[in-house]
Amino acid sequence: MAARILPVLKLATKVTIAGGALYVAVDSGLLGSSEQGSQALEKAKAAIPPALEEWMKYFGVEAQLPTMPKIEFSPVESWNSGVRWTISSLSEAPTKASDYTNQGIQYLKDLTK
Amino acid sequence: MSEKQLGKKVDRCLADGAIKLGTGLGLGIVFSVLFFKRHTWPISFGSGAGLGMAYANCQNDLRSHYLLHKSEKQEE
Repeated sequence: MAARILPVLKLATKVTIAGGALYVAVDSGLLGSSEQGSQALEKAKAAIPPALEEWMKYFGVEAQLPTMPKIEFSPVESWNSGVRWTISSLSEAPTKASDYTNQGIQYLKDLTK
Repeated sequence: MSEKQLGKKVDRCLADGAIKLGTGLGLGIVFSVLFFKRHTWPISFGSGAGLGMAYANCQNDLRSHYLLHKSEKQEE
């Protein structure tokens, strides 16, 4: 009799696990609109340090996790300044090119004097 | 739409895309391992569905600025 129930039990367990995963994903707003998703992200970010602390205590590890160093590098700022530099050099390029050409011609003229 | 609003919306779109991709991937892995004998196609299906949901959300979000909403109509 146990041999007949076992496949059903296995299927029921699998369905429970899959259904639970699906329920958690939908309920926490991961599959909703963009605002819900960012809210869920904020909640997760806020919940990580206490959870980490609990895990550390559970394993008996006393070492303090090194705090994330405050990185002052902002990729957005670098990108924006790169774009500005490129466009400004492109706009000055014709003037500079003509200046250099004139200087070169002057130099050559001086040579042949 | 001002540039600042547009920037915020694009940020939300990207974050939303990453979240939905991860969720789809995770659910795809769960279903692949449990029901589909570790085939690859549920994983790709899940990630693709996640990306598609993010794309639809982003589209609606960017369009909503130019559409007339019910609350504004009732003010007339």
